[in-house]
Amino acid sequence: MRRYPGLWWSLFRLSWSTHRWLTVSTLSVLLLSVVATGACALALRAAVNAMVAGEGFAAVTAAVPAVAAYAALHVLQDATATCRNAVTNRVARLEVEPGVHREVAALPGIEHLERTDYLDRLKAVRDGGTQLVGSMWRVVLTFTSVMKLLVAAGLLGSISPCLLAFVTAAAVPAVCQLKGQRLLNDSQVATMEAVRLEASLAELAVDAGAAPQIRVSGAAPGLGARREAAWAEAHRVRLRARLAASALRLGGWTVFLAALLAGIVLVVGRSASGEASVGDVVLAVTVATSLGQTVQVTVNSTVATTTAGSVIEPYLWLRRYGERARECPPAGGAEVPEALREGIRLQGVTFRYGGSDHEALHGVSCLLPAGAVVAVVGENGSGKSTLVKLLTMLYRPDSGTVLVDGRPLDRLDPEEWRARISAVPQQFGRYPLTVSESVGMGDLAGMADRERITESLRAANADELVDSLPEGLETRLGRELSGVELSEGQWQRLAMARAAMRRSPLLLVLDEPTASIDAVTERAILDRRMTHARAAGRDTGGITVVVSHRLSAVSRADLVLVLAHGRLVEAGPHAELVDRGGPYARMYAAQANAYRDERCP
Amino acid sequence: MRLHRHAPQLLRALRAAGGWTLTALTAVLLAEALLPAAHAAALGLLVEGVQEAAHTRRPGAVTGSLLVFGAVVLTAEITASAAPALTLLATGRVDGAHRRAVLALTTSCDLAVLNTPAARAAIRDALADRSKGYDCGLSDGALALLRSLASVAGLLAALAVIGLHVWWLPAVVLLPACAVRMLRSRRDSALMDDWRSATQEELALDVWRRANLSAVEGQDIRVFGLADWMVARMRGHLRDANKRLWDHVDRQIRSAWRPAALVAAGLLPAFVTVSADAAAGHTPAAAAVAVFAGSWAVFQVLSAQTNSYLIAGGVRVVLATREVHRLLTPTPAGAERADAGRGQPPHVVFEQVRFRYPGAGRTVLDGVDLEIRPGELLAVVGANGAGKTTLITLLCGLYQPAQGRLLVDGVDLAAIDARKWRERLCVVFQDFVRYPLTLAENIGLGRGDMVPEPTALRRAAVRSGLSTTVEKLPHGWDTPLNPSRTGGTELSGGQWQRVALTRALYALERGATLLVLDEPAAHLDVAAEHALFDRLAECRGEAGVVVISHRLSTVRRADRIVVLGGGRVVEEGTHRDLIARAGRYARMFAAQAERFRAGEGGPADGREGPVRHTSGSGGAGGAR
Repeated sequence: MRRYPGLWWSLFRLSWSTHRWLTVSTLSVLLLSVVATGACALALRAAVNAMVAGEGFAAVTAAVPAVAAYAALHVLQDATATCRNAVTNRVARLEVEPGVHREVAALPGIEHLERTDYLDRLKAVRDGGTQLVGSMWRVVLTFTSVMKLLVAAGLLGSISPCLLAFVTAAAVPAVCQLKGQRLLNDSQVATMEAVRLEASLAELAVDAGAAPQIRVSGAAPGLGARREAAWAEAHRVRLRARLAASALRLGGWTVFLAALLAGIVLVVGRSASGEASVGDVVLAVTVATSLGQTVQVTVNSTVATTTAGSVIEPYLWLRRYGERARECPPAGGAEVPEALREGIRLQGVTFRYGGSDHEALHGVSCLLPAGAVVAVVGENGSGKSTLVKLLTMLYRPDSGTVLVDGRPLDRLDPEEWRARISAVPQQFGRYPLTVSESVGMGDLAGMADRERITESLRAANADELVDSLPEGLETRLGRELSGVELSEGQWQRLAMARAAMRRSPLLLVLDEPTASIDAVTERAILDRRMTHARAAGRDTGGITVVVSHRLSAVSRADLVLVLAHGRLVEAGPHAELVDRGGPYARMYAAQANAYRDERCP
Repeated sequence: MRLHRHAPQLLRALRAAGGWTLTALTAVLLAEALLPAAHAAALGLLVEGVQEAAHTRRPGAVTGSLLVFGAVVLTAEITASAAPALTLLATGRVDGAHRRAVLALTTSCDLAVLNTPAARAAIRDALADRSKGYDCGLSDGALALLRSLASVAGLLAALAVIGLHVWWLPAVVLLPACAVRMLRSRRDSALMDDWRSATQEELALDVWRRANLSAVEGQDIRVFGLADWMVARMRGHLRDANKRLWDHVDRQIRSAWRPAALVAAGLLPAFVTVSADAAAGHTPAAAAVAVFAGSWAVFQVLSAQTNSYLIAGGVRVVLATREVHRLLTPTPAGAERADAGRGQPPHVVFEQVRFRYPGAGRTVLDGVDLEIRPGELLAVVGANGAGKTTLITLLCGLYQPAQGRLLVDGVDLAAIDARKWRERLCVVFQDFVRYPLTLAENIGLGRGDMVPEPTALRRAAVRSGLSTTVEKLPHGWDTPLNPSRTGGTELSGGQWQRVALTRALYALERGATLLVLDEPAAHLDVAAEHALFDRLAECRGEAGVVVISHRLSTVRRADRIVVLGGGRVVEEGTHRDLIARAGRYARMFAAQAERFRAGEGGPADGREGPVRHTSGSGGAGGAR
């Protein structure tokens, strides 16, 4: 809570510097409505008093400002909401949200995207921009509401100081309302899971990908029943809280009403004895009834401000996390070499995923020689993908070091290092962009270079695929934005083309590059890649790392690293490993067997 | 958008709230609408009482009017407390019924229409989910309409209060008030149109909002240095999407003062005449106060905040729902019952089947002749994009062939009730669904139209090898397979694949007799793939098994192999037949096998260029 005021102040300054006009409008509307409420009541009293006194001119001259105040109130009621929503929305979406996205994208690693506890917080921040900015404006609203309360108290006090005692009775409904609002908030939190479940099941019910399976397995009735149960549960809990809040509210306001009536009786008594005017009665009634509304607004905005913690906390966490991540490596220090001479050396590299109790990699030491094609093989879960994630700096080792031509990898600037590498990750994005954008994003500088894009497509055997698309390179992909949907293998080839945009990287990672590609194409692609890798490797010493559990793809590599349960169990050229008769030879024999043309399978 | 034309339909949606709730809600809304008028009248009475008390010096004279005033204020509090609870009750029921109806259509309609952009947009608008940025739904609109109907009564009452004192005033106040109301209605309706125009670009923005928080796209973003490019793109989409809307809002704020003139025009004659009359003694001061409050009430009642915006939102849902009903026609149901052969593995024949996806240019299947014999283990192989997956969608009756036909036990599939036919099928799709439900529910949905049967569940798990996983889960079968749920857990890719297989085997237990698997081994390692094939082989006989794959190492153990190419079946036979024929299959097999054969002779062949040999044992110093 201590850091909140600072955050609000910085959000206000952001709002002020980026959306001056909207900020000023909102502030003036809020302040004007304070003035108008008071002016309205005063003008009314003057008019009534003049009427009772029979002063025609005075009555009319008081009625005119009353009309003006009413007209202003009418407009302000509407404008307050419009302005506040507009400035909140604009600042949140144009300033805060892009800032959050930049902050997230600038985190060098991807641990925050793979741990669900971090991911939950990130989602809260991503979806909470409006709530965040809104909480700042709620603070402003609370201020102006309190000002309104003070004005009301002043006006009542001007009739009789005793009335101030009745004003304090407003504390009772305020407390009740506060309590009720808390109940409502709690019920919102408590039903969040059910609401999310309902939403994701509804999402599945309209999802194009899930539609065939739901139809074939007749899942609709079961799915529908589960979804409706979640819906009903959420509503039951919320309704119960709502009923309790309503009861509290009614109780609180009944107390306030009793005080209000007692106050009016007091004023009436005084006017009967001539100490107060009829206008005073009208003033008291008008102010007292509007007092109720102001108390409600104040309480609601106070509660909403405190509950914004569910967004503010993750937001502050993200800022701290980002700062730590940027400071963590002893910044800079080493430069990325132009070309590799020795290669990449791993020394006792050990790594454990956060929240996991076993090591994904344990004491891995080896040299990936400059210019070589290195294959990393092993069964599912042996640590292959983890190894390449360390090389691409998506994670940093817990102990041990990675040396790039003798320079510690963690002393390199991640951005500079990544500018010199390329990768086809095991799971890659399927972007609903045009083909040329989707490939061109592999090297933003070459985005507009159609020749390079075509060449990269050819390198991934995807040129025929593009020819078959209705608008060639400009075809929009993905059913998400009503583009052309590709098959698994076709997407994979596009990802290969994207990686090929970078011509001679120091490190090229291909993680299960051909899992969904048929045999003939796989062979053509890998042949082409290896030829290119070797040619490029001669110039820059670039290393190609191919990760696979299919040994057919890797037998032509210069060096094979065999991983098992996070340990490097064997390393060497294919032939040497086959001769050695160790784990690799056994794996290889098992797979080769499946293709051997023996009589009985 | 003409709001009033769709009002009856919007109101009809409220029936789902139930009679009692609706009656109580109407009563509360009526009371709410009448309160400003009642308040004005009570205030007039109170002032009269006060004056009389002051005149007669008898404070008791005010008691009656004070009680009336107290009653009015108390009623206001009661309605203000009851309204939210009743609204919530009605909302839950109305929206619940609406979602049920829409989603029942989306899960049963013809697949070809579900994937059209028009249908997707209509469904999105009809569901109007808050998580997708919609700020009002069906019940919000319907309740706003009910509220504005009630406000007519409130308006009449307020007019009566002022008319009672000055007969010609109601007309003078009413005209500007109606003008204010009309302006606001027009504005809200235009705002809603601008809002809708933003939807398409917002979808493009959503893509990146999701991508930046995904570990998958997150890798690309980092490796290719896309951060700044992406954020710039997001801002671009955001500005494009909302330009019209934001310009509109800005204009609206700039001209926000305008209704003030109308309000003043309405109030000024009333206030001035009445106060002059009262000062001259023609009208009692009490009446003047009542007129003041009454004419203000007219404006309050007529411009209850954002009502017309909400109604416009509700009408949007009504229109979208009508569109959904029009577009999402149910799959044409054949009359023939397919349960004649129930319990027996079906005999399926594709006869000269041609097909292309609606809206796509390429013909995917171009005269396929294919037979699935009862109880056999059939493998379908082919290059990427050869139409393997399309075969499944036709087999399931999800799409109809453009030409040719499918015969099931000699009967045309088009004539068979699709639901009955699908009860005989179980399919493991390549991107199978991961329901965010418990393990038991995930399996049970393999046959979601039957009451789940725990024993069948267990048997299927034993057969698929999932039972060992079940034991390790914190709540066994009742563990939600989603880490963001309480007690939930995340399964690995391999474990999920096993869940999908178990789901299909469960359907087998419940009477299905044809098992189809699409690329079941793409991400399995060799040992797991081998084990999977053993399990499939066990099912053969009791059911037909069709495996679609491009990995030939395991496919060779099938009873029969069919090779797809160029949209038709180019070869078929056993592995041995096909190898002997030396055709496409033999070439594909050779391509995959060659690496291994080459490997036997050492890696020397096919190596381009020299490579510095610093590798080998020296490099793997730390290896054990």
